[in-house]
Amino acid sequence: MTAQLLLVAPLLAPLLGAALTALLWRRPAVQRPISLAATVLLLGAAVGLLAHTASHGTLVGAMGAWPAPFGIVLVVDVFSAIMLVITGVMAVAVALYAMGPGAAERDRAGFHPLFQGLLLGVAGAFATGDLFNLYVWFEVMLIASFGLLVLDRTREQIDGGLRYVLLNLVGTTFFLLAVGLLLGLTGTLNMADLARLAPDVDNQGALAAAAMLLLVAFGAKAAVFPLFNWLPAAYHTASMPVAAIFAALLTKVGVYAIIRVFTLIFAHDAAFFGPILAVVAMATMVTGVFGAAAHYDVRRILSFHIISQIGYMLVGVALMTPLAIAGSILYVIHHIVVKANLFLIAGAIRQAGGSFALARLGGLWVTRPLLGLLFLVPALSLAGMPPLSGFWGKLAVVRASLEAQSWVLAAVALAVGVLTLFSMIKIWNEAFWKAAPAGPPPAPPTRSQRLATFTPIVALAAITVTIGLWTEPFLALSFQAADGLLDRQAYIAAVLGPEAAR
Amino acid sequence: MMSDESLLALVLALPFAGSLVVGFLPSNRHNLEAWLAGAIALAGLAIALALYPAVADGKAIRVAVEWLPTLGLDFTLRMDGFAWLFTVLVTGIGLLVVLYARYYMSPDDPVARFFAFLLGFMGAMLGIVLSGNLIQLVFFWELTSLSSFLLIGYWHHTAKARDGARMALTVTASGGLCLFVGVVIVGHIVGSYDLDRVLESGAAIRSHALYVPALVLILLGALTKSAQFPFHFWLPQAMAAPTPVSAYLHSATMVKAGVFLMVRLWPALGYTEAWFWIVGTAGLCTFVLGAYLAMFQQDLKGLLAYSTISHLGLITLLIGLDSPTGIVAAIFHMMNHATFKASLFMAAGIIDHETGTRDIRRLSGLLRLMPVTAGLAILAAASMAGVPLLNGFLSKEMFFAEAVAHHSSSAFDRVLPYLAALAAMFSVTYSLRFIHGAFFGPPPADLPRQPPPLPSWMAAPVALLVSACVLVGMFPAVTAGPFLDSAARGVLGAHIPTYSLAVWHGFNVPLLMSVVAMAGGALLYLALQRYLSSGIEGSPLLRRLDSQRIFDRIMIALTLRAGRIGLETAGTRRLQPQLRLILGVACAAALWPLLQLGMAAGPLAPSALDPALTLVWVVGAACAIAAAYQAKYHRFAALILTGGAGLVVCVTFAWLSAPDLALTQLLVEIVTTVLLLLGLRWLPKREEMVEADRHRTPRVLLRRAADLAIATVVGIGVAAIAYAVMTRPAPDSRASFFVERAYTEGGGTNVVNVILVDFRGFDTLGEIAVLGVVALTVYALLRRFRPAPDSIVSPEQQVRQNARAAAAGPRQPADALADSLLVPALVMRLLFPVIGMVAVYLFLRGHDLPGGGFVAGLTMSVAFILQYMAGGTRWVEARLIILPVRWIGVGLLLAALTGLGAWAFGYPFLTSHASHPTLPVVGKVPLASAILFDLGVFVLVVGATVLILIALAHQSIRTHRPTKPEPAPDHA
Repeated sequence: MTAQLLLVAPLLAPLLGAALTALLWRRPAVQRPISLAATVLLLGAAVGLLAHTASHGTLVGAMGAWPAPFGIVLVVDVFSAIMLVITGVMAVAVALYAMGPGAAERDRAGFHPLFQGLLLGVAGAFATGDLFNLYVWFEVMLIASFGLLVLDRTREQIDGGLRYVLLNLVGTTFFLLAVGLLLGLTGTLNMADLARLAPDVDNQGALAAAAMLLLVAFGAKAAVFPLFNWLPAAYHTASMPVAAIFAALLTKVGVYAIIRVFTLIFAHDAAFFGPILAVVAMATMVTGVFGAAAHYDVRRILSFHIISQIGYMLVGVALMTPLAIAGSILYVIHHIVVKANLFLIAGAIRQAGGSFALARLGGLWVTRPLLGLLFLVPALSLAGMPPLSGFWGKLAVVRASLEAQSWVLAAVALAVGVLTLFSMIKIWNEAFWKAAPAGPPPAPPTRSQRLATFTPIVALAAITVTIGLWTEPFLALSFQAADGLLDRQAYIAAVLGPEAAR
Repeated sequence: MMSDESLLALVLALPFAGSLVVGFLPSNRHNLEAWLAGAIALAGLAIALALYPAVADGKAIRVAVEWLPTLGLDFTLRMDGFAWLFTVLVTGIGLLVVLYARYYMSPDDPVARFFAFLLGFMGAMLGIVLSGNLIQLVFFWELTSLSSFLLIGYWHHTAKARDGARMALTVTASGGLCLFVGVVIVGHIVGSYDLDRVLESGAAIRSHALYVPALVLILLGALTKSAQFPFHFWLPQAMAAPTPVSAYLHSATMVKAGVFLMVRLWPALGYTEAWFWIVGTAGLCTFVLGAYLAMFQQDLKGLLAYSTISHLGLITLLIGLDSPTGIVAAIFHMMNHATFKASLFMAAGIIDHETGTRDIRRLSGLLRLMPVTAGLAILAAASMAGVPLLNGFLSKEMFFAEAVAHHSSSAFDRVLPYLAALAAMFSVTYSLRFIHGAFFGPPPADLPRQPPPLPSWMAAPVALLVSACVLVGMFPAVTAGPFLDSAARGVLGAHIPTYSLAVWHGFNVPLLMSVVAMAGGALLYLALQRYLSSGIEGSPLLRRLDSQRIFDRIMIALTLRAGRIGLETAGTRRLQPQLRLILGVACAAALWPLLQLGMAAGPLAPSALDPALTLVWVVGAACAIAAAYQAKYHRFAALILTGGAGLVVCVTFAWLSAPDLALTQLLVEIVTTVLLLLGLRWLPKREEMVEADRHRTPRVLLRRAADLAIATVVGIGVAAIAYAVMTRPAPDSRASFFVERAYTEGGGTNVVNVILVDFRGFDTLGEIAVLGVVALTVYALLRRFRPAPDSIVSPEQQVRQNARAAAAGPRQPADALADSLLVPALVMRLLFPVIGMVAVYLFLRGHDLPGGGFVAGLTMSVAFILQYMAGGTRWVEARLIILPVRWIGVGLLLAALTGLGAWAFGYPFLTSHASHPTLPVVGKVPLASAILFDLGVFVLVVGATVLILIALAHQSIRTHRPTKPEPAPDHA
């Protein structure tokens, strides 16, 4: 029973958080601790879930006590639990960071209920075992993220927000379409049940078409090539805590959905989807990194690197070997921490240097050496330099590609690594090493604002270094998650009972 | 006494720990940081010396700790004679460099960072040297690139330092990545990354199909790191670093990592044609080219940089010759080069420090001004040139002996002695140039500053290194012999070749080559005098071929250009192409598997068309198409047409016996259309765009035709797949489960409602969250929204009405409004309680008959909308206090708590309990606990809809009083 409560808690925490902060709409001073408490609760529950699933196996909870496949089930395996933990970490970090400069204005615009709504959607998407329910959480996420994106109501935000919501709505429409087709083909929405029935559907063409539509929908969410356009149109306009939580979680929900659906439901057709995913992965890596190279605004550079890194995360599901999937999962963990931190640091750079444009930045290595070091940690990790987390993610992905004899994939992954390094060095050279441009420095933030800004940055950098130096637990967990993903019968048995599995 | 193993771990750990400590010391504690760094280097050196007995006779010390058991990786430290030699070089020269830097660095520089990075580098370099595992080696390899980057850019205010740092990092880190892949392949072949295992498996590696790719990749790593042709160009750029860094990283240690690795892996990868050709050719090219370019440098450090490249080429060439004696000579030259080159760099640094310039054109006659430095530098340069009785001579003799020995009967072998002599001649020339240019000639004329007295300790490290050069040069067998022997044993095992460390080997070919090189070099120097004194920067033949510029061009082409091109082709900032792209991709994605795997309609025959329903559908389709057509020209018409299409859907639901859906659809249509109409009022006018479009230019027509085609294809495609699915027998559906249990277990006869609030109540929970968030977003967006200037003007009808009112008498415009809507307004007001009752009715019966919280909520909000329409915003809000944001919060809370309530009774989240109690007056009512959940839905729907309504309604208040900044009564 406690385990069952634990299962719902990652959703309940943001749900209650959203409800309470909406009730206290006019009282930011009360909203903030509630919001923070909800994220801490989310993190705590997720950690509990991870501990439980890692030792006791997949946890299944029937909502409303209706058994699968009739009711909706929450299914948390190790992979889901990892994603929930990382969501919790990011939620706490961003909730803290959002108390930094600009907090008053954000709170008045309704940051907290929308933030909690976003977390609800993300946690729901990671926890659910029902395809239509996943769609619902996608919607929650989409709408809440749109609200967060246009928080400041500037012209460029509304412009970017409109693109964001329109392109994503089209994507989710295809999701709904695919769900309808799958329901027509199999008569079920439960993912385990779908996995059980999918290989025997006689209309495999239509099934694959539905799968491809799902890939389009999830791919649009994950910003893969060529569906990435909404991301660079929108992310750089968002206020920094929002951009950080977006960078951390939004695209990763798409990645999660691709990994989940294509390892579970359509795994019998991996030979068909594998090459497609591999090509998409490579094209995504390359486009993102080239896009980043063409820009001189910190936020835009970072946004394009999100796209680029998504490619690495798809390698696992393209190759479908335990090492490749484990590598992808490790990569997701590493990337979320690193990328969110880079956005948080971009905000701190803006606080210190007064701009996001590299041309107008400079001299920060002299004035803010600590910020410089804190930037180097995620930046070099992103480029895959040791002794940081990215090195191991890269090792796993490259080794998996080589073992699967995907030479091109490995080569592209490494070349993109070099260009990523080049890009990070560009930021470093311009913002930190170059002499400071003339002009008065911006007003320094207050002590408590600095604390709110730097606590999450330091904590996330510490996580990056920890993964880099003490990789084994993270890698072992990724392998456990990968084994869980590849053992479909165990998943089916956990959800539908042992007699359903073959 | 600590064991050898823990001492070994300590050697590696000390610099890293020191780096952390020093980095956080205040940056003005010049002495403290230098002493700490020095103490750490000294400790490392002392430990290394103490460990010598353990490695002296070819044995190795090993420490292995479990690191990544999942990937089969151990953290292994392994020290044999070869690693020991490098450990001593790294710590010993490190110690001297720290001492030197203490005096070299200006007190204004933030030296804490400098020493922290220097120690970090020392640790990383020791990590490479002591790695007993290839992945671990790559790990530290990249770390050295990183610390080199930070040290080159130490004086980052100059663009040269920044660019040099970036180039060095890009080249060496790329090489590191290649090495990484190569190592992974080797690990794949061997089945382990352990160095000992790899070294044992030489035969297996060489015969494997992946041998050549692995070799090429590993060599790419080694050659980039050791600045071998064609990757040599980064090293001269790295000279922007402070001189202690150049002396330490870019001559004595880091650049040796590449040759170190080649020697290390030679037993596993060597003995092949591929090795001979790749390594040998790269080495020979670099040897000759580096020496040639070094002659023409005007910067002392530039000269030394190219000379370093050349000497590294020599070492590489020795390794490439693929013979044990070559390997021994290579190791010996690594030692010798490290000593004389580090001292030369330090001497160049002293000259720079004292005179303010390193330009040979400006320097001259420094012998009188700084005799000690001059004497030391002359000795070191002589060693570099290969003058007898100095250590450079000995390894150069060994090299010549190797060069003339027989390797393979190729052209390479035949030209090798001549090219070797030629390059040796060049090296004599540039050594002469270094000495003569700086120390001899007339007294210097235009120095930036007059040399102050030299800090006495600054020359001490140079003196120590030069005395090593002399001692080894005179008594090689005693001083260097044992260490060279143990290093060679570490690499080659027991089968070390016979070699002789002696100054005099009799008259032989190598000696002849030495003599020729000496004489030729001196003559060449005389011959080049005119060209060199002309002050031209760079060499006569290769000046044009600037590999740095080529690199820059490639990087710009790869990054900036490709990025721009990529963005222009794959990316677009305009919304319409983006939408076309996503639709096109979806079409292609769905079509691809259908073409691959085939698709056909199923066996079921479609049911006959009902003429009435067909007619309804024709109307609906016409509405939809017309709405799309009018969307740009006439928003109002488009909106009404969309409503028409929605109504047709609603009728279809009713027709197909889905009254719940029909009812919900109807209310949704009503509420959304009304809200959209309210919003339409505030959209900016688009006359001019529409006008431009009205001129049917071919482009406009083409665009619209393309859009139509896309829409048609997508629509037909979706219909086709749906047809194929629906013409097959329905799969074992879950529907019967829901129908059977709706009443018995769900407590309701309306299956749809029971599904919504019970079976799939969890979905509903998510959906109401969506609705709440939408409302909050709309509200937040419109909170301080200012309508577009062209829509602030009152609509025409309102203007006319107000004009009429003004003409009729002295009345307020509001009165006119009240008059013109008198009867409808009255009716609407009276309807409020009625609609409220209907909502309650719909809500209560929802569990059994069409209705429910969602429908009831929409109905209730219709009542509110009517009030706003009838009375206007001010009138309603003067009488009704609506706090819709709180409604949203309460609704969410209620739904969540109902779900949680099941816990109190030990049931899972959202479990419903059904009963049918009899209430007085009302009678028997279906009362499932789900009704509380449904109440939450109801409350939230009302709150969300009304919130959107209020957000829109308040626009009108604002625009009519545009002077006040925050005029809206904020009831939310």
